Amino acid sequence: MKRLGSVLLTMVLIAALTLLAACGKNDGAGSGGNGQGGGSSGGSNDGKSSASGGKPVELTFWGDWGGEGQKQFETMVDAFNKSQDRIRVKYVLQQDMITKFLTAATSGGSPDILFWDRWRTSLYAPKNVLHPIDEYMDRDGISRDDFYGEALKELSYDGKLYGLPLTVDARALFYNKKLLEEAGVEPPATWDELREAARKLTKWNGNKLEVSGFSLSDVGLFNMYLQQAGGTMITEDGKTNFNNEQGLSVLRFWDQLLNEDKVYKIGFEQGLGEGQDVFVTGKMAMHYTGPWMLSTYKKYGNELDFGIVPPPAGPNGDRGSVMGGFGLVIPEGSKHKEEAWEFIKWWLANKDNALLWAKTSLNIPGFKPALEDPFFADDPFWKPFLETLEFAKIRPQHPGYSVMEVDGLIPNLQLFMNGDLSAEEALGKAQEQGDRLLRENADVK
Amino acid sequence: MSSMKSLGRHEARTAYVFITPTMLLFTVFTVIPVVMALYLSFTDYDVLNRMNWVGFANYERLIHDDLLWRTFRNVLYYAVLFIPLNIAISLAIALLLNRAGLGVKLFRTAAYLPTLTSAVAAATVWLWLLHPEYGLVNALLGYLGITGPAWLAQTNTAMPSIVMVTLWQSVGANMVIYLAGLQGVPEYMYEAARLEGANRFQSFRYITWPQLKPTTFLVSTMSIIGALQLFDQAFVLTQGGPANATKTPVYLIYQQGFNQLQMGYASAQAFVLALSILIFSILNMRISKSDETFV
Repeated sequence: MKRLGSVLLTMVLIAALTLLAACGKNDGAGSGGNGQGGGSSGGSNDGKSSASGGKPVELTFWGDWGGEGQKQFETMVDAFNKSQDRIRVKYVLQQDMITKFLTAATSGGSPDILFWDRWRTSLYAPKNVLHPIDEYMDRDGISRDDFYGEALKELSYDGKLYGLPLTVDARALFYNKKLLEEAGVEPPATWDELREAARKLTKWNGNKLEVSGFSLSDVGLFNMYLQQAGGTMITEDGKTNFNNEQGLSVLRFWDQLLNEDKVYKIGFEQGLGEGQDVFVTGKMAMHYTGPWMLSTYKKYGNELDFGIVPPPAGPNGDRGSVMGGFGLVIPEGSKHKEEAWEFIKWWLANKDNALLWAKTSLNIPGFKPALEDPFFADDPFWKPFLETLEFAKIRPQHPGYSVMEVDGLIPNLQLFMNGDLSAEEALGKAQEQGDRLLRENADVK
Repeated sequence: MSSMKSLGRHEARTAYVFITPTMLLFTVFTVIPVVMALYLSFTDYDVLNRMNWVGFANYERLIHDDLLWRTFRNVLYYAVLFIPLNIAISLAIALLLNRAGLGVKLFRTAAYLPTLTSAVAAATVWLWLLHPEYGLVNALLGYLGITGPAWLAQTNTAMPSIVMVTLWQSVGANMVIYLAGLQGVPEYMYEAARLEGANRFQSFRYITWPQLKPTTFLVSTMSIIGALQLFDQAFVLTQGGPANATKTPVYLIYQQGFNQLQMGYASAQAFVLALSILIFSILNMRISKSDETFV
């Protein structure tokens, strides 16, 4: 009995380890409501009370970009602090930012500006932890047409806008110029041309794949292919919409590339670092990726001569790519929302500053007037992305979308690529599991 | 007699004083959170603004949660491969290195080294070793004329690959535990066995193995707990893929709680996990206990 007791005790300990993160946070949220909150934001309280007396208001800006990204943020923050003397912003790097924000949102100590992965908006906005900015926009006469509409849509919920886009990105087709020249093919503009090019570019040596014509590593790009085939991921009433002719045509296309033309081998790219990236080392002729890879690829500029074209169009001429990116939002818990808005407006709705940000970070800003600058307009690397962004669409704004995609769809697509399921079976199962996940995660209020 | 009693009382009081800090910490950081999590598992808590009592709704939802059961099947499969191999290999190495001799310390250190590496760093190196085209593992197999699989990208080899990597990392620590166990086996038993004419296998079977029972119990229990809580290696090596073949309960719980903000449901999942660890540990205890007394 004594032994059972000690085993039970051990079990409690294990349960605690499993739950510690969750409960620790919750504990803090419960007890820190009054004491902690006041303490951690004491500095900014001081700022507020004496703001009228000439002392600047201090704002906290949370983000989870460290290293280079942190320097880029700090460049912008310093520029803003120098531009005026009423507001001082401080960037605070937060590991595991979202978890910390959850605590801060309920217990006080909330930041004033938050770096925001836009797709999270539909999950967080209904919980009233973000502050809508429509009033500020109207008051200051900021035109919504100056921003990418899809990016604003992703930052909106229930007719209210919750932030402005900081970056916009979409995937386009990167190709190795040297390999394409050797094989005598032009960068593809349609699925047929893509298939033809990939076939010609692939080189096998017995059982060993030496050069892959086209990467099929990421079945998570299904959404993009589906758009190109003329489909959409989910219906208006929140059900999956890919178990149909459009979905099948995507899988058939993959099947042809992988099993008939043998342009790729599953696992070919897995586990290789930056220096051994198969595209860098010339072992992969074409693949889809986004502007975030430009600086890496330019670093290997001497050996790697590459070009970019917008994603090839599907069988009926439909074009598609998925728009993603980040924004800045104001948490409802901020004590200085006006000043936070000043900062966001200065950074994201001003041509010069948006351009400074773009040049500092090598990102495409969400503010369109900045893109007219020669830095973007005359650059062969940026142009295909700007063209892609014209037709790129955000992920569906269903709070359960990402779970549906990651747990319902992708596993079945992987089974299909592995040869364990037929195309029909894979889509059938993905629909069944996906619909359930959408339903279970739909309620967020 | 009465002075004995008062001494006993005094001792007891001192003992309570000594254990108070530990018990306090244990209560604050373990007991209270667990009780709260139990409560939360009956609510729709979302961390931000709701916490309504929902009764057994979370547990009812669990029953139909295919993905959760899939992750349990994954870790059970992992445990079935991992635990026997872990015991066999670490015991074998311990037996080999349980002697005085030139270089033994060097080998002991070498066997223990992988344990000191961070799980994530080690997994990153293995990621590269297991690469289908350029990895060392498949290159070696290539010399034997075998075309190695895409270890981490195929549904049938992904979990065995993770078993391989975690074994490499954990046999060192278990070897040390077994070494300690082996040093505790009295020499006279072997001497007696030799006099009776027992061969080496017999003296292992009838002396070493039974004497090591408590050690094996410790190692197997820790392995069971480790298996059910598998996370880092699976996360770095395969991110739960391909096709959820290596997704584990801990990962799913984290995702449900912090990404989907369904902390109530995640707490219910965590309780099922804790309960299953309890069940398997008791089972293990019964099996270890069944033929002989120990500890």
